[in-house]
Amino acid sequence: MNEIIKFLKNNFDQYELYEEENEYKSISYESNNLKEISIKQSKGFAVRAIQNKGLTLYSTSNYDFEKFKSNFLELSDYPTDTKIIFPKGKNYSNPEVKIFSEDEFNIPNDFFINKIDETIKKILKHFPNALCDGEYDLGLGQSNLSNSNGLSKSSKESGISFFISAQIINENDMLNIYDYTSSVKNIENEVIEKITNKLIENLSVAQNIKTSPPKGCPVIFTPHGLYQTILSPLLVSFNGNNLSKNLSTLSSRENEKIFDEKITIIDNPLIDYSPSSRNFDAEGTNSQINKLVEEGKFISGLFDLKSSSEYGCKPNGCAGRSLGSNTFPSTSNLIMNEGDIGIKKMIDQIDEGILVDHLLGAGQGNELSGDFSANISLGYKIEKGKIVGRVKNTMISGNSFKALGNVDYISNEKENVYGSMSLPYLQTKNVEISS
Amino acid sequence: MNKNYKSIIEKTLGHPQGDYKEIRIEENVSTRINYNGKVRENVSINSHFGGSVRSLSKGGWGFASFNDITKAPEKMKDATNLANYSNNPTIHLKKSDSKKISLPAKIKKDPRKISLSEKIEITDHYKDLLLREKNIQGCEIIYGDTERKVIFADSQGNEIEQNFVHVILRIAANSSDGNEMLQSGFSIGSLGDFSIVENLDEKVIDCARKALELIKAPKIDGKETTVVLDQILAGVFVHEAFGHLSEADNVYENDRLKEILKLGKKFGNPDLNITDGAKIPNLRGSYEYDDEGTQATTTPLIREGVLVGRLHSKETASKMAEEPTGNARAISYAYPPIVRMTNTIIENSTSTKKEIIEDTNDGLYVKNWYGGMTEHEMFTFSSAETYRIENGKITETLRPVKLSGNLFTTLKNINGIANDLEINQGGGCGKGGQMPLPVSNGSPHIRINNCLVSSG
Repeated sequence: MNEIIKFLKNNFDQYELYEEENEYKSISYESNNLKEISIKQSKGFAVRAIQNKGLTLYSTSNYDFEKFKSNFLELSDYPTDTKIIFPKGKNYSNPEVKIFSEDEFNIPNDFFINKIDETIKKILKHFPNALCDGEYDLGLGQSNLSNSNGLSKSSKESGISFFISAQIINENDMLNIYDYTSSVKNIENEVIEKITNKLIENLSVAQNIKTSPPKGCPVIFTPHGLYQTILSPLLVSFNGNNLSKNLSTLSSRENEKIFDEKITIIDNPLIDYSPSSRNFDAEGTNSQINKLVEEGKFISGLFDLKSSSEYGCKPNGCAGRSLGSNTFPSTSNLIMNEGDIGIKKMIDQIDEGILVDHLLGAGQGNELSGDFSANISLGYKIEKGKIVGRVKNTMISGNSFKALGNVDYISNEKENVYGSMSLPYLQTKNVEISS
Repeated sequence: MNKNYKSIIEKTLGHPQGDYKEIRIEENVSTRINYNGKVRENVSINSHFGGSVRSLSKGGWGFASFNDITKAPEKMKDATNLANYSNNPTIHLKKSDSKKISLPAKIKKDPRKISLSEKIEITDHYKDLLLREKNIQGCEIIYGDTERKVIFADSQGNEIEQNFVHVILRIAANSSDGNEMLQSGFSIGSLGDFSIVENLDEKVIDCARKALELIKAPKIDGKETTVVLDQILAGVFVHEAFGHLSEADNVYENDRLKEILKLGKKFGNPDLNITDGAKIPNLRGSYEYDDEGTQATTTPLIREGVLVGRLHSKETASKMAEEPTGNARAISYAYPPIVRMTNTIIENSTSTKKEIIEDTNDGLYVKNWYGGMTEHEMFTFSSAETYRIENGKITETLRPVKLSGNLFTTLKNINGIANDLEINQGGGCGKGGQMPLPVSNGSPHIRINNCLVSSG
């Protein structure tokens, strides 16, 4: 690496060197049996260098200096315009969020195998014909970031995730329900039990297929359904790249009321042991809690150095990156406020409606406008205040801005989604159901 | 083969334990040129090198990937130890005739011989063409070429080196009416042919004009209706609606699904014929040997509406007592091979597009694609263009739609297949975290009755 740093010092106004080394382990069950255990190790580095406001990016897992030099010099003839200045080291002191726990990698494989085995047996006790897949994924990562402005930071991160699914086939109906969670440290037994019990309960209800409710019926989204249907397309508009290029409908509309005043959303990277937490972002900017929406008003987008320099604001610690890519604005732990009504009461009030949990084909439409359209792969029919079964061959479509523009209810319970989001149940009329 | 590789491979496969062992070593270099908004955002070269080993023991697999290939022999020991945690019935993989072979990349116009400046000049020109149109807010252009050398060897005596060069281009324009943003675009790709990205001015200008036309178009209400699919979207349809369930790793451990997808069962009308095969030459899903060293084939999947075949790896073929079809593929050395499609095609029938449209009283003509997804028997896919059909005529431009269906009913609802097969090479497939895998798909125009659509 010393040769590379010397080369960059001699040839560029600014440079940044990012190096990462990762180790993964995956234990996977297929159709109720242990299928595969895999381990992966990867190491590589990426360089960004700026000369005369032109940026060159190169990444590789090959540490051959001569190869690096010839490729980098060729690329540097075609730099992309940039105004960014890499962060200075002296201005930064790290927060100390807990994002690392080494212990899990030392737990014997038998522990994870037994845990998946127990979970599958529990499901099979209720549904002997079910075919279950299960998986534990463990990851350890170390990254080093340094730049020509004196910044030098290292980060050690770990993560563990648990996935379980069950499939039941009746005639030509293939019901498949899954759940997933993740953490920085080992996932507690109670969490796995909760996931398993919920999966068993859902399998039981979902085997009863009901006709879809009519258009215009009340629609409640589970926390997972809320993220997948509404928040995921909405976040495209909070992305600093889209804001800075005027491709977001939120561009230059800070402090304007856009959503129902019941809505507040923050992005908080400073939660201990959450797998999406970070002390600093992928460019070395310190992490901070960002308010995205407060009581319906658009407050801020998500920015890295580039998008903030183009939008004319400060970077807010949202840069993510993979080894082969330039940096990009990204969320960490997304949190929506709770409401003032229980989910049970929300369901109780509905004569005929639908509870949307999982979609098939989300994220493949005109997301720049916040539009969504997808098949409801797991949705429950509500009749006379009770969940009575599952709907099938039913689509949902709408627009995230309209769906959150006028919200009926937000639940006072929240659930953890994917281990890094805390979201409530939400009911809105502004979506269309078709079947 | 490089002598250092040969010695590492011999040591690695010489590990005494394990019922079957394999090693892959890969070198790849990719070039990317990206535009977003109104500017060129990024020009990059990524170069990666690494290897992986896989061991089968006690009916389970152990897999290890790494960058330092000198560690392959000890990684094989680790992989075998990991496989030994299983306690499943032994799997006897079918042994093919062993071969030692080195295959060069199939090249028509080599992107490696085109200078970076020339590539940038072409993509800069397309960006300028898009932005020249009034009211185009920005664009998205992604050019990429990738060179891959993959060396495979296994304990059945195979040593296969294959080389591939892929080219892709996506071009999209963003339009706005002041309230909403809309993107319209197209994607193309090739195996070893840079010329596909040249001379696209007309297509690029058309893309910008479509974005401007679509932003003014009305949305439809969700409903069941008759849809006529162009060749590109019908290709995506066959990939999503049928292709994924023909991958035997969905079926081989699932007795109920084996009954449902029993060979000989009727799935469509007599003019429906579907094939998948890497042996079909010069397409993005084409190769000579898959990532388990099995020779590529062409596999008939549906013949005259009847299920006649499925796609296999060595493991799924053994467990189902069928023949391997050469469909075990890994996106890179860092992943184990799994059963994947290659080039999936609905074959020509006898109607024409004109006859099919004229014979449709009320429906939608849906063209080009944006995406697609499958979950068991359910699937969705989305059009990039949609037009209303009234009394046998295309009458009005509409916003793009999302289409959804169910394997068991939708294939039977195909009631018109034309004779104008075209192949779409602009897509990539995702499965098991491995995305985008180069595939192609194709079809003539087809018509489907009672398809559920909603505004996309």
